[in-house]
Amino acid sequence: MHLNRLAFTKADSLRLIVFGLALLATPANGSADKPDVDDLFRKSVQPLLKKHCLDCHGDEEPEAALTMTTGLGVLAGATSGPIVIPGNPQASLLLHVLVKDAEPHMPPEAQLTDAEIATISTWVAQLDLNTVVGRNIVTDEDRNHWAFRPLSTAKAPEVDNKDWARSPIDQYVLSKLEQKQLVPSERASKPTLLRRVYCNLIGLPPTPEQLATFLADAAPDAYERVVDELLASPRYGERWARHWLDLARYADSSGFHSDIDRPNAWRYRDYVINSFNQDKPYAQFVTEQLAGDQLEHPTADSWVATAFGRNGPSNEDNMGSGLAKQQYAMDQLDDVISTTSNVFLGLTIGCARCHDHKFDPLTQRDYYSLLAYFRDTSKQQLTLDSLASAQPKLTPSPTKPSTKTAEQAVAMVLTSFGNKPTETNILWRGNVRNKGPLVQPSVPRVLAADDRVDSPKTRLQLARWITDEQNALTWRVLANRIWHYHFGRGLVATPSNFGKLGEPPTHPQLLDYLASRLILDNGRWKSLHRAIVTSSTYCQTSTTVEATRRQDPDNLLLWRMNKRRLEAEALRDAFLSVGGNLNLKMGGPGIKPRIRPELLEASQRNKWPQIKQESAEHWRRSVYIYVKRQLQLPMMEMFGAPSTAHSCARRENSLVPTQSLVLMNDDFIAQQASDFASRTQQQAGDDQSAQVSLALQIALGSEPDENRIQHGLQFLKTQHDTLISDGVPEPEVDHQALTDFCHVLMNLSEFVYVD
Amino acid sequence: MSTNQFSRRQALASTGAAFGNLALSSMLAQEGLLGAESSNPFATQATHFAPKAKQVIFLFMYGGPSHVDLFDPKPALDKWDGKEIPVFSKEDVFMSGKTKPFAKKSPFRFARHGESGIDICNQFPELSKHADKLCVIRSMHCESNNHGPALFQMQSGSIMSGHPAMGSWVTYGLGSECNELPGFVVMMDHQGAPVNGSLNWSSGFLPASHQAVPLRTSGEPIAYVRPRPGVSPRRQRGQLDLLARWNQQYADANPGEAELEARIAAYELAFRMQSRAPEAVDLSKESKYVHDAYGLTEKVTQHFGRNCLLARRLIERGVRFVQLYSGGNEGPRAWDAHDDLEKNHRLHCAETDRPIAALLNDLEQRGLLDTTLVIWGGEFGRTPTAEGGLGRDHHARGFTMWMAGGGIKGGTIHGATDEFGYHAIENKVSVPDLHATALHLLGLNHKQLTYRFQGRDYRLTDVSGNVIQEILA
Repeated sequence: MHLNRLAFTKADSLRLIVFGLALLATPANGSADKPDVDDLFRKSVQPLLKKHCLDCHGDEEPEAALTMTTGLGVLAGATSGPIVIPGNPQASLLLHVLVKDAEPHMPPEAQLTDAEIATISTWVAQLDLNTVVGRNIVTDEDRNHWAFRPLSTAKAPEVDNKDWARSPIDQYVLSKLEQKQLVPSERASKPTLLRRVYCNLIGLPPTPEQLATFLADAAPDAYERVVDELLASPRYGERWARHWLDLARYADSSGFHSDIDRPNAWRYRDYVINSFNQDKPYAQFVTEQLAGDQLEHPTADSWVATAFGRNGPSNEDNMGSGLAKQQYAMDQLDDVISTTSNVFLGLTIGCARCHDHKFDPLTQRDYYSLLAYFRDTSKQQLTLDSLASAQPKLTPSPTKPSTKTAEQAVAMVLTSFGNKPTETNILWRGNVRNKGPLVQPSVPRVLAADDRVDSPKTRLQLARWITDEQNALTWRVLANRIWHYHFGRGLVATPSNFGKLGEPPTHPQLLDYLASRLILDNGRWKSLHRAIVTSSTYCQTSTTVEATRRQDPDNLLLWRMNKRRLEAEALRDAFLSVGGNLNLKMGGPGIKPRIRPELLEASQRNKWPQIKQESAEHWRRSVYIYVKRQLQLPMMEMFGAPSTAHSCARRENSLVPTQSLVLMNDDFIAQQASDFASRTQQQAGDDQSAQVSLALQIALGSEPDENRIQHGLQFLKTQHDTLISDGVPEPEVDHQALTDFCHVLMNLSEFVYVD
Repeated sequence: MSTNQFSRRQALASTGAAFGNLALSSMLAQEGLLGAESSNPFATQATHFAPKAKQVIFLFMYGGPSHVDLFDPKPALDKWDGKEIPVFSKEDVFMSGKTKPFAKKSPFRFARHGESGIDICNQFPELSKHADKLCVIRSMHCESNNHGPALFQMQSGSIMSGHPAMGSWVTYGLGSECNELPGFVVMMDHQGAPVNGSLNWSSGFLPASHQAVPLRTSGEPIAYVRPRPGVSPRRQRGQLDLLARWNQQYADANPGEAELEARIAAYELAFRMQSRAPEAVDLSKESKYVHDAYGLTEKVTQHFGRNCLLARRLIERGVRFVQLYSGGNEGPRAWDAHDDLEKNHRLHCAETDRPIAALLNDLEQRGLLDTTLVIWGGEFGRTPTAEGGLGRDHHARGFTMWMAGGGIKGGTIHGATDEFGYHAIENKVSVPDLHATALHLLGLNHKQLTYRFQGRDYRLTDVSGNVIQEILA
């Protein structure tokens, strides 16, 4: 029989029920001593299924997606919905189709005997919804997965090269290198180090003045003082907030059909920037984002932080009605809990929405139990001024694009405030038509130290549980993220997947050391940054040593620094910076820089404004660019800014010729190059070799060698002749030629990569 | 990144194996940067089995063309015109309040065409001549009767955003055979983008280099492919020469960083694209006969005709996946015939009939149809019942799409809806089934074409999809 015939119309199923009821043998219910239901399945039902059903409904390409190899597979049902209602064989499709002359009939070419049908019917009758799920007992082996174990407290290993190992970080790294008889790379030069630590901590290259000061500073702690300055700079928060916004799938519009503007989303972005600048303890940061509305003393910040649960794509005004809408509501909650478990726990619990996780010890029960913490939340708009009064003023968030601006300052929040508790059921196959048993809020069992310990009951308790110092996983995940952003690769290469399919850590002890340090530092990041960027490990050159490369081509053992390309935002900020145009205004609604008019047609709604000429208001740092889901700024998109549909733990780093086209032909870059040339002319005067030298310094953050200056001068001369023959008026030629030179500098690999 | 747990394909994709799907391999090879002995990680990807088709043209009729008025004649609608039909369910209605349970007969007439006798309505006189090339699937169904989610599903298999479009999967799976053009190209209707905008051709969780590149028919064909006004080739060459020299020095100082070498190649390629991409869209080289055939000389057909002709030129140049939209913006400017079905469909049929016929003919004559899969359809169909007096509502339970060319058994009708055209009932074809079939024709097993994301291996067809064996040539 073709599978499609099993997708019943409603009329079909009604007919079936009418016929089926009469023909079904009613099983003996309520017998005093029920045989063990599992036993019954294994001994009597499974052999029947195996004999009659598995040809079409086995594990391989099951018809109608119905897998009958296990009891749970039968319970999970087919594409058309459930086939078994536990405890109720009369209502179970499975039993209807077995009956003689049923249409459709199963198995297609055979007829089960009455006795066989009765066996199956008995099994269904004895199934109890509340015991058939989540009985995948977590084993000790599951709990012993490296990521779930308590943090190691072992001392840092002894190493031979004690001069190199300046800190425990270095000891862990060097010890592995020494085991393999590898030597670390030399310390990078001062200019290289300065550019590296600037780009890394604040996302901007150093100016020639900053370089000169650093080079002139012969004190042994010159570098350490630079690090402290950078960490104290507001630019630090702007840089590191961007990493967090990737994880939080932050955007300023809803995506989907209407791509509705979210005019208050920026408050979350500013909240994140401020949190980083304040060096907010991680526990507080997490708690505000997950349960800022449930704190004993919620603040405007903590309310704004709950937008963590609101940042995903949404489609409120246009997602149909009835079941479609219910399904959509679950999709929205899925976004919240998948992101929550990815970001804070490094777990891919989203995989357990439709069935138990295939690789990790996470069940569907775990999924819906985690979802239960968020089940009673709703999307609201909070009037910020109302926080002064006893009762926060909450109104449902608008689901239609609005043209008028709110009169009072409002924030988009996710809250359960004033909402009725809502029950949560397991949904077989994630389908709202296919309800399983009720579940209570609870954390994934594998993470509960003991099955008997009470799980947190509220979202607030959940947040506190996540950030509890006993929860090693949370701290490992965080330590690894910080390392990832410093080195371009985490000690665990899959920063949001610490499960079995994630990569194991290259340096497990180092990871545990970093996690422990974070806990000791009360979850403040800056102290760990300082420890990392002042380590010998971090300060190595990024140059390849061929012999070592052959042994460790991916630099997993960290025998050198990784060379990294500037991310989209850092690249644009660097262009603005060398152009002398960077506007350091902080905060507030997002900026909309110029997008070529012909590119605007791809955005269907709420169009981006047409801008003839950019000015200072557009030249703010890229973290302030309005993130429109249907139309990202082309340069951001092209250089790997995240799509924002999901949490992004690691940027893509594609290399494609369209990137070269943008860097060659984009108006924004041409303008910055022109301004770069003007300021160079102004500062260096008319002497061309001084111009070339200064431009090189501004762009690359190092003193240029004579050879380069000669090449540059040669270029200016050739370009001068070309421009004259192209008919460029004489008075403009010098500036144009220098502009072309500056434009080349902005395209150099040395500019785009950080050594 | 360690590749031990990722598929090789995935590892390559994440290092940017594609420009908007351009194989970096060929970039490097062309620039003489790959020695004969060096393994080439960026080569065109191997298929899982011998492909029938190499390229795809997806003619997307945005808004939802009405199957019962175009390819799936239902005499019962004449008989039941104005009467309540028994299969109607309120739950299936999108425009509640306006859509009635009453049958609405088709304003168009049908006739059988070709040796195969496929029914095609009289609004497609030119297409009808190619009936024997078509495999008309009358039993499509999808999961949403709402443009946004349904568009997402038809593109990516999922009604939610954030999943890669089919074109992205295909370039991810097959790489590109064309260096100077993107592998996945989209051409919007002259009326503008469909709802969801560029999210429709997003690469989702695949690397961004796999997303479609919109191709414009006037001005700059591909964004940034033209130097800024006043910048002569010689002037730009001067810049690139200095750039190449210094980038080479830097690459030499950093042996083993393949990316730095590739970056040099990328600039050279970009420089060449600037002249070759405009050539690809320059229709002045096409004869008057061709212009006429595609309807470029007539007002109603000129826009879609131009896009169809461009599609053929892109296919000739090796572009892997071309998607053309008929219908843009919203409402009557798309196939979204809520108000007046006859007027709407007369217009959109007239806009597309001749261009599509010319495209099929042209591909065949050039020997390209055998290796090019052509897909026609929208995100859903329309209700057999009336919306208001003259319109039809969105309908997901049963609708029609057709395929032609590479590996498709022409002159066939697959599947059926019930007597009213309401439910697909026979040989039902889901969107994942359609996707699985298209990938199969391209030599890809839809179950093996996976990408690991957030802890699991995703597919275009996610957890379902069956290749429709019956329609394979």
